Amino acid sequence: MTQDPNLTAPVGAAVSEGAYVPAQLPVGLRRVPSGVDEVTTEHLVVNFGPQHPSTHGVLRMIIEADGEEVVGAEMSIGYLHRGIEKLAEHRRYNALGTLMDRGDYTSGIHGELAAAMVTEKLLEIEVPEKAHWIRSLMGEVNRIASHLVWYGTFGLDAGAMGQFLYAVRDREDLLDILEAVSGSRMMFNYVRPGGVLADLPAGIDQKLRAFVDIFDVHIEEHDQLLGGNEIFQSRVHGVGVIDKQTAIGFGLTGANLRASGVGFDVRRDRPYAAYEKLDFTVPMATEGDCWARYAVRMEEMRQSVRMIRQCLDGMPEGDFTAKVPKVLRPPAGEAYAAVESPRGEWGVHLVSDGSDTPYRLRYRPPALYALQVVEAIMPGSLIADAIVTAGSVDLVLGEIDR
Amino acid sequence: MKLWGSGLVNGLRISMRNMRRGPITLQYPFEKLELPERARWTVVPLSDAQGVPVCTACGTCVKTCPDHVLALDVTTNEDRSKHINHFSYQLGACMMCGLCVEACPFSAIAMSHDYELARVDPDTLEYDLITDTPAYKPKREKPATPDAPAQPASASEGDAS
Repeated sequence: MTQDPNLTAPVGAAVSEGAYVPAQLPVGLRRVPSGVDEVTTEHLVVNFGPQHPSTHGVLRMIIEADGEEVVGAEMSIGYLHRGIEKLAEHRRYNALGTLMDRGDYTSGIHGELAAAMVTEKLLEIEVPEKAHWIRSLMGEVNRIASHLVWYGTFGLDAGAMGQFLYAVRDREDLLDILEAVSGSRMMFNYVRPGGVLADLPAGIDQKLRAFVDIFDVHIEEHDQLLGGNEIFQSRVHGVGVIDKQTAIGFGLTGANLRASGVGFDVRRDRPYAAYEKLDFTVPMATEGDCWARYAVRMEEMRQSVRMIRQCLDGMPEGDFTAKVPKVLRPPAGEAYAAVESPRGEWGVHLVSDGSDTPYRLRYRPPALYALQVVEAIMPGSLIADAIVTAGSVDLVLGEIDR
Repeated sequence: MKLWGSGLVNGLRISMRNMRRGPITLQYPFEKLELPERARWTVVPLSDAQGVPVCTACGTCVKTCPDHVLALDVTTNEDRSKHINHFSYQLGACMMCGLCVEACPFSAIAMSHDYELARVDPDTLEYDLITDTPAYKPKREKPATPDAPAQPASASEGDAS
């Protein structure tokens, strides 16, 4: 038996004498399938995606399975690559939001906000107080909408169906509100350097209050429908445990990190917009399993409702945007600004050469780090649990692939 | 400790409660949602009271558009007035960000509420907003203040069909 010297060494146990080693690696798999182990069961390489219904977006998972057990996993990404960072080098600063929307398409406000904040940092623009409050308000509205998508699809991963329809029902109300405010349902282009595009429209206060009042009831309904279901509970308790060290080591942020017992939230620890003046708690859990991530995100939605109420009550009078020139030319230099998106720390690093377009824009997609953790913790779990684990960390492929 | 299965029963109870409420969906072609005033769909040219497009062919929107879907083909006459041969618009590539409308110094274009954009013929995804029209002269007279930017009144003008 000759082995191709170009093949990477197999991870784990050495290939036993006489084991089958394919002449060529399957596309994208960097490990040699371990062939036949001691109990002579053949390992099977299963390809999930990129169009598999149980993956999120266009994620391709290459899973090497020994029966039902995952022995190796590889996440193959890039199927949604649009070259956002390169395109940003040809966009004017006030048009960067149009790209950021399309990065993380379930929480566009946060992407826009990060791009606007970093531009403001370079230009040293003072943002009016009201713009800060509107940004926080819309950020929280968008956070609930994004968490509802996660809640619905996470249930789908675990085999439930009804909660998705209820989640989409509530999200529809939020998208209507976001459309009334920004003009678009998902690609808002609302947060601009210097403030926001326009003031809140008349009547949006009543609409939002009506929504949060009814959502107080609905969130409990959601929690009981999925979280109270014993089958779901047994699917998520103790599954996909990310311990504290792994979470920190992989650079995990957001709800995934907080579910592993590290209390870091950009809104609280490096406040931006109006979060300094808002009263909210950062939900935490220590188990680090799928259930902890579920519980943290459900509690985050409740906190978002609290913040929306505070924003509506405390909305100051004043301008919604600072006076900014039509064409922005920040001085040469670089800056980094981060926001707490529903998936974690969404940061934008911008390098300016003094022209009207960025020299380089790089954004930190929090879900990319979550994806890598999933790849690392997947071996040893069952295939069905691997799907639940991948669903629990809230992957958005638009943001990962860019 | 709750009895195993009580959560399942509770879930069924929630489903039953939701079964009793009315539908939240609309029968689309027969019923339509009213769009909010700020909704952004296709770009349309605006006209003054006489029906003359108020575009001055300044080209600001063309420079602003991040995806380069707008293009102006202008000839300058001897008296330095401009004539718009084609003010073309690629509907298929437009992402409806509204930056062109914000940038327009004369409020000569607007985002309409025309959202039924399915086309049978892909060629109709690119069309002229204004064809063979003299450019509006902002100096001669003050531009007749066009209606509010998000006014769908002139939506039919920009239609391809």
